Amino acid sequence: MSFLKLERVKKVYNKTIEAVKRFDLEIERGEFVVFLGPSGCGKSTIMRMIAGLETVTEGDILLNGKSIIHLEPKDRGISMIFQSYAVWPHMTVYGNVAYPLKLRKKTKEEVEEIVNEAAVICDIDQYLKRYPNQLSGGQRQRVAVARAIAVKPELFLMDEPLSNLDAKLRVSMRTDLKRIHQDLKSTSIFVTHDQSEALSLADRIVVMNHGYIEQIGTPNEIYHESESMFVARFIGSPPSNFLDVKVELEDNKVFLVHSTFKYEINNKFVKTLKGKYIGKTIVLAVRPENFTIGNKGIIKTKATIVEPQGSHIVINANIGDVEVKIVSPILDILPNQEIMVGFTESIGLFDKDTEKRIK
Amino acid sequence: MNSVGKRITFYLIISTILFSVIVPMMYLTTIAFSSAVEISDYPKQLLPDLSHKLKIDWDEDSNYYVISRLNNSYEYEELYYSSRFDRHQNYLTTYLNISKTEEELEDDFIVARETGESVYLKYNKDIFNNFIKFFEVFNGASAALFNSVKAALLTILLSMTLGGSIGYALARTKIKGKDAISLGSLIVRMFPAVSISVPMAILLVKFGMFDTMIGLAIIYSIPNIGLTAWITRSIFLSINRELEEASLVFGATKIQTFRKITFPLVLPAFAASSMYAFITAWNDTAVALLLTNRNQTLALLLYKAIGGTASLHYAASGAIILILPALLFTFILKNYINKMWG
Repeated sequence: MSFLKLERVKKVYNKTIEAVKRFDLEIERGEFVVFLGPSGCGKSTIMRMIAGLETVTEGDILLNGKSIIHLEPKDRGISMIFQSYAVWPHMTVYGNVAYPLKLRKKTKEEVEEIVNEAAVICDIDQYLKRYPNQLSGGQRQRVAVARAIAVKPELFLMDEPLSNLDAKLRVSMRTDLKRIHQDLKSTSIFVTHDQSEALSLADRIVVMNHGYIEQIGTPNEIYHESESMFVARFIGSPPSNFLDVKVELEDNKVFLVHSTFKYEINNKFVKTLKGKYIGKTIVLAVRPENFTIGNKGIIKTKATIVEPQGSHIVINANIGDVEVKIVSPILDILPNQEIMVGFTESIGLFDKDTEKRIK
Repeated sequence: MNSVGKRITFYLIISTILFSVIVPMMYLTTIAFSSAVEISDYPKQLLPDLSHKLKIDWDEDSNYYVISRLNNSYEYEELYYSSRFDRHQNYLTTYLNISKTEEELEDDFIVARETGESVYLKYNKDIFNNFIKFFEVFNGASAALFNSVKAALLTILLSMTLGGSIGYALARTKIKGKDAISLGSLIVRMFPAVSISVPMAILLVKFGMFDTMIGLAIIYSIPNIGLTAWITRSIFLSINRELEEASLVFGATKIQTFRKITFPLVLPAFAASSMYAFITAWNDTAVALLLTNRNQTLALLLYKAIGGTASLHYAASGAIILILPALLFTFILKNYINKMWG
C-alpha cells in the first residue's frame, strides 16, 4: 500500500476555472517527489489540497490508506515550507520553531530540546533570539526549514521554497534540502517551476501542464524519454530542438526527410514508423548535446551566435527555417563559421498531431 | 537653485512652521503657570516665571505693609497694602500664586517695620496652584475629566470593534458590494459630525441616551468606524496569507491562528486608528455642546470657561490638563507603532 495516494483529484474554482482537471499519483514512504510545471499548471493547487488549505472538488486523497480530505490542516500530520518562508515576524526564531511544538502540548523541556536540535541541523542555532527582520533571506529560509523538521512530520510539503533566494544561495540550499531529506528519510513533495531544481532533487518528477499530468518518472526518464513535446520543451536548458520531418520509405529503408537533410533511421523506431507513419510528417526532437559537429555531419549550416559557457559552448544555427541550439564541447567555433551538424543515436520522435512520443 | 539656497529655503520653511506651532503653545503654557497679576503684565514673558521678586515697605503713617512686585518692565509696581497678615496671605495666594503661612510672612515683613527700609524678597510660586484652582473654580471639572476619559475609551472600543470587523470583512471575505461599502465608509467620514448630531440628538433622546457618554461615543465613532475600517482593511490585505496558512498547517485552529498570528500583526494598525478615535473624542466641543446637558466633557467645559470667564490662567491650565493625556497616549502609541513597523 502506498503512503500517499491521490485518486482522480479535481479542483474547480468559482464553478468555472478548472485548476486541476485530473490528478492520479501514488507516493511511497520516504520518496522525494517534485511537481514541476509552468506557473498556472495546478501544481501548487495540488499541494495546497494535500495540506488542507484548499478543498478538493472531486476525488480523494489517502494518507496511510485513510482519506484526509475532510480533516483540518492541523490534523493531517504534515509540515510545509512556503514560498515566502512564512516566518512569523512578531516571534523570535526560537518562538517560530517552538510554536508548532507548543501547539502539540509538548513540555517546556521537550520544546527546548527539539528546537535546539532542529536549529543545529539547519545551522541557525546562533540566531535563536533574533527576530526574522534581523535575518537574511537565506537564514529565514533555514528558520522555515527548522520549523518544518522540528515537528517530525509524516509528510513534508515544499511550495517553491527556493524561488525567493538568489542564484548562488539557491544551489547551496538545494544541496542542504537534499541532505536533510537523506538524513531524515521523510516523505517529501516539492513544487517548483525550475527544471534544474527538479532534476537535482527528485526521486520522481511529476510534470504538469494545464491541470493534467504530462509525465511521471525519474529525472533520467523525464529527460531522455520525454513522453510529450511539452515535457521535451520544458525540461533541459537549453530545451530540445524540434524539426518537422517527413517519413519516407526507400528500398525498404526508413528515412527522415527535411529540406536540408535526409537521415536514415535504423534502430528501434523502424518498425513503428513503417507501420503508421510512412508519408506523414512527424517531429524530430534533438537535445542540444545530442547534435554532433564535425565531418560526419549531414547538415551544412552556419553558426550564427556562439555563447561560451566555460565547460562547453552553446551554438545557435539555422536548420531550414528553424533556429536550433547546439551544445558542443568544441570550444573554438566562431560566429559565422561553417559547420557540419549531425545527430547521435539519442533522438526522440513525436507524433505531430498528438504531440506524444513515438516509441 | 544651488544646494545652499535650497537648504536655506528648507530651514526657513521648517522654522516658520515650528514658530507658528511652538509660539502659541509656549504662550498657552506660560499663561497656565501665570498668576492673576502676571496675566495683565506687559510685555508678556515667553517662558513662565517660577518666582516673584517682591519689595515690602512699611508705611509709618497709615500703619500698613505695602507689597510691590518687579514687573516685566523692571519697575516695582505697588500691588496691595494692609496691616493684617491674613489679608496679605490671602492676596498672595489668590493673585500671585504664592503659598506662605501668616507666620512666614510676619517673619519676613517685620524686618521692614523694624529697619524702616525696603525689604526685597524672592518668593517661589506654587506651580500647581492654577491646576488645583481649576478644579475648584470650575464646578464639575473633575467629573468632566472623568467623562472625557469615559467618552474617549467608549469611542475607541466602538470604533475598534466595529471598524476592525468591517476592515476584516472587506479584506478577507467575498461579500458583494465591497467597493461600495469601503467608499461609503469614507463618505461618512466626510460629514461633519455636527451635522449628524442634530438628528442624532432626537434619536438619542428617544433611546434615553441623551446627555450620556455612550451617546456621545456613538456619534464620535461614526466617522472613526470608517477610518478604522480603511486602515485595518489595508493591513489585513497586506498580511501575507501564508503566515496564517503556516499556522494552520503547523497545528493551530482558526481561532488560535487569529489570536496568535493575525491579531498581533494587525495590532499596530489598531493602535494607530485608536489614536485618531481618542483625539476625535477627546478634543470635540461642538458635538458635546449639542448632545450633553449636565454631563459635560472636559473640552466642552474648557470651551465654556475660556469664553465666559476672566480667569484665563485657570482655563489655560485646564487646557494643559486636556492636552497631557492626549500627548501621553499619542507618544506611547507612537513608540509602539515605531517598534512594530520600524
